[in-house]
Amino acid sequence: MNLRLLISEPRGLTPLWVKLLIPILSVLAAGFVAGVFLYITGETPSAVYAHMLRSAFGSSRGWSETLISGTPLILTGLAAAVAFKMLVWNIGAEGQFLMGAIAGSGIAIWLGDGVAPGLALPLVVLAGCAGGAAWASASALPKVYLGTNEIITTLMLNFIALRLMEYLIFGSHSPWRDSGFSTFPSGRPLPEGARFPEFFNRLDIGVFIAAAAAAGAWYLFNKTRWGFEVRVVGDSENAARYAGIKVPGKILGVFLLSGAFAGLAGALFVAGPAGALDPRSLNLGLGFTGIIVAALARLNLLAVIPVGILLGALNNAGPSLQSIGVPTATVTMLEGGILIFAVAGEFLIANRLRRVRARRAVALQTAGEGGGG
Amino acid sequence: MNDSQLILTIAAAVTYGTPLIFAIVGEIITERAGILNLGVQGIMLVGAVSGFWATFNTGSLTLGVVAALAAGAAFSFIHAFTSITLRVNQIVSGLALTIFGTGLSSFLGRAGSEPLVGNPSREAFTAVLEGGLADLPVIGPLLFGHNLLVYLAWAAAGGASYYLFRTRMGLSLRAVGEDPASSESVGINVTWVRYAHVMAGGALAGLGGAYFSLALVPTWQDDPIGGAGWIAIALVILASWRPWRAIFAAYLFGAAEYIQFTLQTLGEPWSNVPSTILAMLPFALAIAAMIVLASGKRARYLGAPANLAIPYFREQR
Repeated sequence: MNLRLLISEPRGLTPLWVKLLIPILSVLAAGFVAGVFLYITGETPSAVYAHMLRSAFGSSRGWSETLISGTPLILTGLAAAVAFKMLVWNIGAEGQFLMGAIAGSGIAIWLGDGVAPGLALPLVVLAGCAGGAAWASASALPKVYLGTNEIITTLMLNFIALRLMEYLIFGSHSPWRDSGFSTFPSGRPLPEGARFPEFFNRLDIGVFIAAAAAAGAWYLFNKTRWGFEVRVVGDSENAARYAGIKVPGKILGVFLLSGAFAGLAGALFVAGPAGALDPRSLNLGLGFTGIIVAALARLNLLAVIPVGILLGALNNAGPSLQSIGVPTATVTMLEGGILIFAVAGEFLIANRLRRVRARRAVALQTAGEGGGG
Repeated sequence: MNDSQLILTIAAAVTYGTPLIFAIVGEIITERAGILNLGVQGIMLVGAVSGFWATFNTGSLTLGVVAALAAGAAFSFIHAFTSITLRVNQIVSGLALTIFGTGLSSFLGRAGSEPLVGNPSREAFTAVLEGGLADLPVIGPLLFGHNLLVYLAWAAAGGASYYLFRTRMGLSLRAVGEDPASSESVGINVTWVRYAHVMAGGALAGLGGAYFSLALVPTWQDDPIGGAGWIAIALVILASWRPWRAIFAAYLFGAAEYIQFTLQTLGEPWSNVPSTILAMLPFALAIAAMIVLASGKRARYLGAPANLAIPYFREQR
């Protein structure tokens, strides 16, 4: 019998090149799948991708817009990564982002004109973090103290945050709404002192704040006692409990930190490129895209920075597709494809495939060696 | 009498709730097999565009329904493969399906030289059993004068309940969701059962999506379903994993969606409540229900499968 079978077996230590290769292959595979759909609808995939690359990286303006699009994604990616590390399934970054934007713009408008940027900007940033964390606490507290599943509550809170923003702009005469435009409601522009100054085309220092947040989170998780205990909880709650770590407090802390990152993204966005609380410019699905960033970065808190910028490039290239008659949704399709392949690729990171003779495969299976992990 | 607000609200509940019934029943079947599928939103969108496309090109509603069912099953196969064969994280995999499906349906609606977007469907589901019976007081507008998919949704919920609790296959399905290792030891093929029911659940979600594009608003538009897929996942808990209860959960939510219109007609002070605030109500109710009914161990008493979202490693039995 020369029949050969493909079997999978768990890896001990995964080599670094595999960990790097799988995310890259995920992006390429998604590009191939989206390319098939482009091809059957009569487009030339290579031309479409070349156009996307040019608009994302082909000019200084392209670069600055890519970094602008990447900034919130670094932070929502961070929000997903810190939570998912702990098996806290916060999929409410969307809502926490909006609450951060509402809180950040709220304090900016409340302070009004004439406040020095040195005072206004830190307050905007803090308000954003607080807004996001507060919104996360609505899911975190029931989870920690009552055992309520956070997936559903964070999801539903996304919808409520979106409706709240719509209420502030479309449904009421709140301070967030621009009183000048009565015919078509829009957000009130933030006072100059509460806007991040632009230094490279439209790019502002928000991108550095996002990168610093990622570096800070990396330090917190990898170099501090708190971070160590959190990682123990993430690996095994039971082990943590035996070691005397207070598990509920750790889960609560990580959940709120996750919400704060998403809220910070909202505050930077509203005090940066958006400039006003406006449903049309804020409801972009940046929270969900953060989950793609986290998965593609394999929950590595530093890798979130380049991966966030990569996804930012995709988001930035999207609208330019209209000029060549290709649907903007190509980008969403690509991003969804990337996530499918990235999560499927986790299998190859945890397991290796081996071709063995059929009889040997059966022997391995019955001996309980093959598969598992 | 049949014009009263109560009756109008109930009729609206049926209109808005029907697609949710398909999606909730589909997700119940999936979760009963122990697989959590957060891709419902994406599957529904793919079903919506496939159903519309098939009817648009053939003029046949039957083919539209078949296409939506097939597309839903095929699309959910991706999730079945990642979560059953590759055993990777079901939560992330489901979210991936939703994002991909959202992009794909919008792409297919807009791509090509003659895009679907903005086009009315060649055929649409319209009311049946009208006339005499529908004019009966109260029960007339409740039971009669709906489109065919409404009755199909009732049949799906009833049929799934019967299947789950009165057949041998249904027993196997529930056993797999509760304890796959024991199920396998009595000769149930866990992998097969899980694949079959993830895909069956996906087919139903696809049909729920097609309700939007072939019955509710039979014109193709980007994202025709709102957040229905997400809501369906939450309503599984309100239906406590029992398919026939999906009817009540879905109609309750449908009525809550309509209440903003009801209050507008009641005059002051009710009409002063802003509609955007009222639109939060269904979601707030879902959270409240979640906390009260399904916190901690209560989820298990309610009917949550013990092995929901836990990958099954046969070799570690």
